[in-house]
Amino acid sequence: MKQTQKTDLILIVDHIQTYIEQFHILQNVSVEVPRNSITVMLGRNGAGKTTTLKSILGLTPPREGKIIFDGMEIQGKRAFNIVNLGIGFVPEHRAIFRQLSVFENLKLAERTKGDLDRSGDFIFDLFPDLKRLIKLPGNHLSGGQQQMLAVARALVPENKLLLIDEPSEGLAPILIQQMMEAIQKLSATTTVLLVEQNFIMASQLADYYYIIDDGKSVHNGLMKDLIKNEDLVKEYLGATAGKVVSGGLQ
Amino acid sequence: MNNNNKRRTYFISGFFVLLLVLIILAWQTLGTAPFVRTSLSGLTLGSLFFMVAAGLTLIFGLMDVLNFAHGSMFMLGAYMGWQFYTNPTFIFGTAPLWLAFATGVFLLPILKPFLIRLELSESWQNALPRLAYALMVVFLLIGLLGVNIMEMADTAMVAITTTVVSNPLSEIGPQEPISSFWIRPLALFLAGAMTAVGASKPGNKKEYATDENRSRNLIILAFLIITTIILTIFREALPVAVLLMNGNLRFALAILTAVLFGFMFGMVIEITFIRPLYQRHMFSILMTLGLAFVIGEVVHILWSPLAYQMVRPPFFAQPGKAETVWEWFQNGNATLNVFGVTFPTYRLFIIVLGLLMFVSLIILMTKTRMGMIIRAGVQDPEMVEALGINVRQVFTLVFALGVAMAALGGIGAAPFIPVQPLMGDQFLMQGFITVVLGGMGSYIGAFVGAITLGMARAFGDYFALRLSLSPAIAEASTVIIMIIVLLVRPSGLFGKKE
Repeated sequence: MKQTQKTDLILIVDHIQTYIEQFHILQNVSVEVPRNSITVMLGRNGAGKTTTLKSILGLTPPREGKIIFDGMEIQGKRAFNIVNLGIGFVPEHRAIFRQLSVFENLKLAERTKGDLDRSGDFIFDLFPDLKRLIKLPGNHLSGGQQQMLAVARALVPENKLLLIDEPSEGLAPILIQQMMEAIQKLSATTTVLLVEQNFIMASQLADYYYIIDDGKSVHNGLMKDLIKNEDLVKEYLGATAGKVVSGGLQ
Repeated sequence: MNNNNKRRTYFISGFFVLLLVLIILAWQTLGTAPFVRTSLSGLTLGSLFFMVAAGLTLIFGLMDVLNFAHGSMFMLGAYMGWQFYTNPTFIFGTAPLWLAFATGVFLLPILKPFLIRLELSESWQNALPRLAYALMVVFLLIGLLGVNIMEMADTAMVAITTTVVSNPLSEIGPQEPISSFWIRPLALFLAGAMTAVGASKPGNKKEYATDENRSRNLIILAFLIITTIILTIFREALPVAVLLMNGNLRFALAILTAVLFGFMFGMVIEITFIRPLYQRHMFSILMTLGLAFVIGEVVHILWSPLAYQMVRPPFFAQPGKAETVWEWFQNGNATLNVFGVTFPTYRLFIIVLGLLMFVSLIILMTKTRMGMIIRAGVQDPEMVEALGINVRQVFTLVFALGVAMAALGGIGAAPFIPVQPLMGDQFLMQGFITVVLGGMGSYIGAFVGAITLGMARAFGDYFALRLSLSPAIAEASTVIIMIIVLLVRPSGLFGKKE
């Protein structure tokens, strides 16, 4: 297993507090993401996982706390500046651009001219379907194809960190399998911070876990330790996830 | 969703079939000549409606801002073009001043990365911007006190009533000598620089700025400074040079001036007034409404509420009818024979202008990265930002583009309808109806809607005249069409947003 050293962290989220309008959504979240690993954030609906990702990106900037990406403080910067430092974002609900074709969706994600030419082979190798659909408008794609496009879009420029929000949401089991394989392949070259409700998927993919509950990060550690800790899983993630741990669903 | 798409396609094709039937019916009942004449009038109007509606719909689609000042921007475009064409003393007389101010403000991206890194105590952090703004006011007073803006504004008005045709220079009056004038642009530059210092919040560690684009910014700054100096020096010579120019070239430059002015004006308005209100839609609507009143009053003060008729450029002004397009191009006739109908050539020019704008808009929206960003931004601006695109900047550009298109409509209309402070109101109203009819946010919808409304107006007028009904029927016809379309399809013809 990879050793965690301070110098190896690509992202440090240090005690951030985020408000959305008057609501105090994140009350104390700290996350550390080691380089070239997969870290997953677990927690119930509305616990603040998505808001944490958006706070990192600067879409909902935190009011308090620090965020350090690749050795540089990024809290308070505008979102497009943060993203351009090398962060790819796959939003939940597969927010692809429905009026744009698959090609245009990918082209729009370019940060410098020629990004798509460089990464195209890798993307179409990962998701061969997209090559066939390249000219289709986004609103003609099926849910699974839209999710692939959403992930592919984050791979167009070279990113040091990928933030992926609920990649398995609403996908058929066979597509979940394909998505997992794709994310596994990605982690060979980049770092992934994942938000995932599907505990089976999360437990098989991730090296490290964080549990977010009620706007606070409450537990973290190695995934292989969490799988053994049935009580903790049941307490924060519900009975279904607990069964997975005890072997009931596997 | 697919079902919805299908219904939309059926509805649009049904609408076109209905239009076609109506057109053929009108042709059969009217006979060719009146039909062609009325259709061309309709196209002219539709073209002008489109130039207003295109900007409205783009701005609404991307930013959800209903711009009630769009009619005023149309009107300002007409005034600027008219000023430039008739007597540009006002434009060249004031240009060094506001350009100098803009140059000063442009120091912001260059100064900010240095200023925010300064180590300042909290009280200095608070005091410095206030001091800078106070100095700005002082410099503004130094620069602007005693500038005879009214007299410069009057020159074109006087020119229309008194200028002898053979001597366009008779109304160029003397201006303040350069030996004392030079202090004004300098003071305004300093005022702009003070604004930049204040706005960059020196010492504030929470602010963020890169100096990545420093060399590009320095080049733009140098360009602005040189342009300001040139304009200051040739302040008096340039109006003379412009008036001695060939009338057609002068008209082309007037169009360019109006469009450039619209673009810059749109940028300034968006950055200063609209940007802080994106999260509060009601406030942004009130803001644009208020702007419309302010712009109207300023124009009142500068040029009085009188209506002026801009002279048509020579290319559209020679008396006599051209039989062919070629003959028109050679002689510049005022009218042209179109299918046996004598039609003013200038109105044909407006139609061509509208079509050119539509084609350029299609190319911009489908073939360029900018267009891709706009189409994506209409759906989800936050995600566009998350791809590393500066959405705020895109908003500014789109707003400026929309205003520039309205200004283009204004100068296009100026030789055709009287130039007066209320000239934009009618077009704003029709522009809104067009946008609602065509579907909020769709530029193709704006085009189809504008042409439909223009036609309805023209044919309505024709029938009202022939059947000796009130002309109000023609005006009501556009609203009636809108109501019918909305009853059947609440999101408009090409609309996707509700």
